[in-house]
Amino acid sequence: MKGTYLGEFEELVLLTVGILFDDAYGLAIVDELDRQTGRNVMMSAVHKSLVRLEEKGYLASRMGGAAEERGGRAKRLYTLTAAGKRVLQDSRDMRNTMWKQVPKIVWEGGKA
Amino acid sequence: MKQSVNTPPRWAERFFRWYCNDYLAEAALGDFIELYQRRLARMSKQRADLLFVWNVMTFLQPFAIRKRSVTPTYPIAMLQNNIKIAWRSMLRQKMYTAIKIGGFALGLATCMIIALYVRHELTYDQHYAAKDRIYRLYNEYRGDKLEAWTSFPASAAKILKSDYPEVEQSGRLIPYEWYDAGKNLVRRDDQTENTYEEGFAYADQSLLDILEVPMVYGNAMHALDKPNTLVISRKMSDKYFPGEDPTGRTLILDDDPKKAYSIGGVMENFPATSHLEFDFLISLAEVEFWPGEQDSWCCWNYNVYTRLKPGADAKALEEKLLTMRDTHYVRYLEEQNDQSASDVRKNHLFRMQAITDIQLHSTGVYDIVPRGDIRYIWLFSAIACFILLLACINFINLSTARSANRAKEVGLRKVVGSLRGYLVRQFLTESILYSIVSFILAVGMVLLALPYFSLLAGKALTVPWTAWWLVPVLLGSALLVGVIAGLYPSFYLSSFRPIEVLKGTLRQGARSSGLRSAMVVFQFTTSIVLIIGTFIIYRQMSFILNARLGFDKEHMVMIHGANTLKDQKVFKDELLRLSAVKGVTTTSYLPIRGTMRDNNGFWVDGKQKTEKSIGAQNWTVDEDYLSTMGIKLVAGRNLDPKIASDSQAVVINQAMVKALNLKEPLGAHVASWARFTVVGVVEDFHFESMKEKIGPLCLRLNKGGAIMMVKVNSDDMQGAVHAITKTWNRFMPNQPFRYTFMDESYARMYDDVQRTGNIFATFAILAIIVACLGLFALSAFMAEQRTKEISIRLVLGASINSIFRLLTQNFLKLVGLSFVLAAPLAWYLMSAWLADYAYRTELSWDVFVLSGGIAVLIALFTVSFQSLRAALANPAQSLRSE
Repeated sequence: MKGTYLGEFEELVLLTVGILFDDAYGLAIVDELDRQTGRNVMMSAVHKSLVRLEEKGYLASRMGGAAEERGGRAKRLYTLTAAGKRVLQDSRDMRNTMWKQVPKIVWEGGKA
Repeated sequence: MKQSVNTPPRWAERFFRWYCNDYLAEAALGDFIELYQRRLARMSKQRADLLFVWNVMTFLQPFAIRKRSVTPTYPIAMLQNNIKIAWRSMLRQKMYTAIKIGGFALGLATCMIIALYVRHELTYDQHYAAKDRIYRLYNEYRGDKLEAWTSFPASAAKILKSDYPEVEQSGRLIPYEWYDAGKNLVRRDDQTENTYEEGFAYADQSLLDILEVPMVYGNAMHALDKPNTLVISRKMSDKYFPGEDPTGRTLILDDDPKKAYSIGGVMENFPATSHLEFDFLISLAEVEFWPGEQDSWCCWNYNVYTRLKPGADAKALEEKLLTMRDTHYVRYLEEQNDQSASDVRKNHLFRMQAITDIQLHSTGVYDIVPRGDIRYIWLFSAIACFILLLACINFINLSTARSANRAKEVGLRKVVGSLRGYLVRQFLTESILYSIVSFILAVGMVLLALPYFSLLAGKALTVPWTAWWLVPVLLGSALLVGVIAGLYPSFYLSSFRPIEVLKGTLRQGARSSGLRSAMVVFQFTTSIVLIIGTFIIYRQMSFILNARLGFDKEHMVMIHGANTLKDQKVFKDELLRLSAVKGVTTTSYLPIRGTMRDNNGFWVDGKQKTEKSIGAQNWTVDEDYLSTMGIKLVAGRNLDPKIASDSQAVVINQAMVKALNLKEPLGAHVASWARFTVVGVVEDFHFESMKEKIGPLCLRLNKGGAIMMVKVNSDDMQGAVHAITKTWNRFMPNQPFRYTFMDESYARMYDDVQRTGNIFATFAILAIIVACLGLFALSAFMAEQRTKEISIRLVLGASINSIFRLLTQNFLKLVGLSFVLAAPLAWYLMSAWLADYAYRTELSWDVFVLSGGIAVLIALFTVSFQSLRAALANPAQSLRSE
């Protein structure tokens, strides 16, 4: 995990890109995050994360899917790279490991 | 406008495109618009607009502004590719390339030449080590009108040095024709052949010191300190004593053994950027032109230069000079019982002018050589900037006018993934390439035009090839101008939307056509003003040359150097025996600039003590002057040497009658340094420039003079000159025969008018060419925009004639509008110019009509090329692709 710290919001964005698979672009990600988490995120925050994640090499992008309602403008479509998938996997593995180490008693309502 | 119904505010969109980097702009804007459309369905437009603006504003963060390169680029490869594309597009449109580069180069060349001229003028007298401490004295008289002149009494320089501790050195100079100063015949004492030379001046030894004159031979500190010595220039040394040191040798002036001068040294030639230029400096040591001349304050004939001590305050010294005025000049006037003493005390100032200011800041100071004028330097600099601006604007116009051609290229490039920044870079490379080619061409043009312009401006201009800054400055300006001229076209061209361009719905240019029309009007207004100006200047010139002058200037031969004749009377009689000669008169005073002048104060006799004097010319002539010159006597009689009392008689002109307010001029007595009786009145004749009213003048009888005027009675001037030459050579075998025709000498007086006219004509032609390029670009653009419209009109039966009219009438309207703007402007400017002349031509309407007509014709010619091509095109060609 050295040097590849992933912020909570960044992880959410990465996951959303994964969920949307073939149609992951700015506005769709905002919508999906809203639906999944109930959070009303700013467009600029999403784009900012996307740019950073691409710089880190977790995401790749291409232009495509211009549509009438977008004023004829193309979307920037993001996909997970191998590194992106790995970092999500790592994050999940780490959590699982840590989960497992939490004594059952904690979950079963025992007093501390 | 349909766009406002369901699109967000344009300004916000534009603002976003402006700040956001290319990488994000397209996608993020798409997101905004998609969100906006969704919102429109749910809420009011105002609210959606507001939220859109909010989106745009919150996006304004470093990550969105920062440039990033996502794909690796290879700058060198891209540059090579850009240059290749630019080169190809240059070759594809040869005519447009030629017009674009040619026009641009023309503008640049003009600019460069003007820059060279301005630089030359600004470097005058900058070469002295102590240039900040060297001053020239001048007089300022604050009377009815401000007068300023540079001559001082002989003793002024001496007093300056002895009485004022700030003065380190002071020296005198007599730069105009006076005794041996001016023009002389020269020979070595061991030779007999005389040569005519100009550029003589009297100077003090200390002047060599002040002006830091570098010496080739001889000692700079002692070259002029002995009487009867000369310092000659390197040029003259090479001419008379080639390859040797002439110090100590002797030159004889005017073939007169009494005027033998020994050479004290050889100085470097004066640099071209010095306000003084002499080849012979005659020592003033122990010179006294007449008894008491050196100490009297009567006569003012010396220019005084001074070098102050370091740190001295020139302004403060000017104040102190008033004591010199009071203790010497005013006292002299009071001793003479002259009424003007109090007036002098009030209005006459002694002032100092920095030597670096003499060339450009001497307006109003009467000087023997006409000086430049800083206002002209400003004017020319402004014209240079203006022409460069016009050239840049034309360049922009031509680039954007051809945008339809490049639009598809831009569209395709964008489709295959080019970003706006790349396109901007591509077009900038292109315009810089154009600019560099234009600069190279412009330097070539400058080299070709410089000799002509040097002649036009009367200056020896050179390109400073050896200066280290030349190449960097040229290269730097080429880049800068290329970027400036390319900025708008590159942003304009790169902003096309690929979909619109490729679908063919692009209607560009409509919004900037107003700007373009304004440019055309602007350029044609300038052109018409210049054309009118040129016409009026040439008209004034022809008015001057053909005006009734009051004397004959045709068929007159002026023989110079007549003062060296042993016996003028015999020579004159010999000339009169020639069949071609009608009359001969000997004098030094002629109504031509460059001949002698003698201004004196005159009074009606008896009013010396009560009234101020009037300034009048006092010319000495012989009895044949009036008849030979064709000057008309309106009252009284001519001067006659046979009447003994005529030695104290004068003939005056009408202007003098008026100035002295003489009711009964004949027999009246006028006084100056002596008393004269008026025996005749002549009609006013122009003896000074047409700029001034004819002033008072009187003629007195005297023998001798430097010029013999010969009136020839046939049209065969060549034959007459030949005959006169033969006679001269019989009398003066060792002396060259020098002559000029009076009409030519007269015309030379107005060289500056001729020069101004030529400069105006040159600028007018340049402005017309530049304006036509602009018009050509616009007409090409219009014709191209309307290709299909014209084709359809032709198919539907429009005549070629009507198409032609359709395409040209708009431009003619623009030119017409230019004329309406230009006419009053030109009228105002040219009235101001003509106001300098006391005698001038009228501003008449035909000049304006002619100029307007010329402008319209030229414009029509330019536009018709494109219009005819469009009208004659086969409509099937352009409609086939639909």
